[in-house]
Amino acid sequence: MSPDFLNFIETVLNGLMTGVMYSLVALGFVLIFKASGIFNFAQGVMALFAALTLVGLQTGQVPFAHLINAVLGTDVHHWGPGLPTVLAILVTMLVMIALAFLIEKVVLKHLVNQEPIILFMATIGLAYFLEGTGDLMWGADVKALDVGLPSGGSFWWEDVTRNWAPAGSDYFGMYIDTLDVSAAIIAVVLVVALTLFSQYTATGRALRAVADDHQAALSVGISLRSIWVIVWSIAGFVALVAGIMWGAKSGVQFSLSLIALKALPVLILGGFTSIPGAIVGGLIIGVGEKLAEAYVGPLVGGAVENWFAYMVALAFLLFRPQGLYGEKIIERI
Amino acid sequence: MNQHIDPGSLRADDGIEKGGMLLHVDNISLSFGGVKAISDVSFDIKKGEIRAIIGPNGAGKTSMLNVINGFYHPQEGTITFRGEKRRRMKPHAAASQGIARTFQNIALFKGMTTLDNIMTGRMTLMHGNLLTQALWVGPAQREELAHRETVEKIIDFLEIEHIRKTPVGRLPYGLQKRVELGRALAADPALLLLDEPMAGMNLEEKEDMSRFVLDVNQQFGTTVALIEHDMGVVMDLSDRVVVLDYGRKIGDGTPDEVRNNQNVIDAYLGVSHD
Repeated sequence: MSPDFLNFIETVLNGLMTGVMYSLVALGFVLIFKASGIFNFAQGVMALFAALTLVGLQTGQVPFAHLINAVLGTDVHHWGPGLPTVLAILVTMLVMIALAFLIEKVVLKHLVNQEPIILFMATIGLAYFLEGTGDLMWGADVKALDVGLPSGGSFWWEDVTRNWAPAGSDYFGMYIDTLDVSAAIIAVVLVVALTLFSQYTATGRALRAVADDHQAALSVGISLRSIWVIVWSIAGFVALVAGIMWGAKSGVQFSLSLIALKALPVLILGGFTSIPGAIVGGLIIGVGEKLAEAYVGPLVGGAVENWFAYMVALAFLLFRPQGLYGEKIIERI
Repeated sequence: MNQHIDPGSLRADDGIEKGGMLLHVDNISLSFGGVKAISDVSFDIKKGEIRAIIGPNGAGKTSMLNVINGFYHPQEGTITFRGEKRRRMKPHAAASQGIARTFQNIALFKGMTTLDNIMTGRMTLMHGNLLTQALWVGPAQREELAHRETVEKIIDFLEIEHIRKTPVGRLPYGLQKRVELGRALAADPALLLLDEPMAGMNLEEKEDMSRFVLDVNQQFGTTVALIEHDMGVVMDLSDRVVVLDYGRKIGDGTPDEVRNNQNVIDAYLGVSHD
């Protein structure tokens, strides 16, 4: 294989890996949108909040340390060496479930039967609230997150691919980040688990029922409020996974909440109501971005990666507004 | 543990004698803004009977069903179900106390299979809340299988074996109506509310549906309240009929009594209201 072709493969592979990360974020949006018709603007911040909490627990930070010190004049910052990673992840999950309960009790319960735009506004409020709370609880500094996943380039893959190029050519093998590979594997496991859950458990059936028809769901005795708590808990779990992967990749920092914006084109591509759509959409955006950067970038002076996804989304809005897998909206008049 | 699953001990078996009072609504009034949908309506449903609610369009029949299963909350009046008196029902509570229903415009889960749709009907009979069901895989799985057995019986009963795995959105209208009946039956209902179960059906489908309603009533002893426009069906099926017009009750009694009630005849033939 010629080095040019190998470079192309490398770009596609890296695009797929990035795409998986986008899919992870988009997945959280789809879950909530399907079950309640709410576009949850806070999904990105939930990922940030989960990652912050995880790091805080792992490193043994005292929550609200700055606030406590300012009010009481003390100087607390750490309560100990921190929790082991697995335990920290479990506790963080409990925090996300508690958050789901709170969101239902404080926000959603009072907005039943309101217009979607009002619920959307509420999630914007929630996003700012969570961002502020995260800052107050754990501090605004950039934190490194290490959950023990391998990271860095894979030498094995580099060695394998080096031999694919013709002998004597100036090719040194493909670069692939092992962290990205782990992320891809985790994402696949997550999607399979979610699918099994929704297809084969009574709770999953209730979730599908609510997503399909609210009134009918009520008539068979499904409590919408418990469903909302469950859906937001699952979205919290997905946010935690996304937060871990993004945090491990680029550090836990507040710009993490902006990955929500990258999920938008993914959702427009895949459709807001389709889990496979979120996956495929993420992959297409990831690959498209990398290919555009590699092949269009040099012609226009680079930085294609930043806007490419939004251009694709715009094109989709023009020609296929329901996305690849979304429900086509046909109304009888 | 299995008391709800064994079809021999349906929830309908609640100690109320056949012919005893299962539900009565007293002085129900319901309005939406300035529009009165129901004014001061009272009637009762006896255990084991088929009770029809009839009346011209806009008479408040569906609103009445919505009051009984808690979709609408009346401004005045009380609902007494199995001796327990309430100002209003909640849909979730109504379902878990054994009130199941079907809808005028079919409300099935269109993306789900016939089997899954009917399984949702057993939601209130499953133990533990949704969260524990999600986490305790082992016991939940065993329970699921037991419920599945009951659901298969219902599928046999309604003669819809051939569409078990078909997403209901693809089924013809008549079959969808049947699946919806199956979902309501799966709840082992003490009271089955049917909102126009035969609307839009051809003669043959109507005969099938009538047969199912009668069988449900006779074999399982399920109490049925149904809204229907086809007078032939109503007169054949029902034990007693309540007639609504413009949100008021204008007649109540056996089919023969109602047929000869002057108010009812006027309402159907269109005598002016003054």
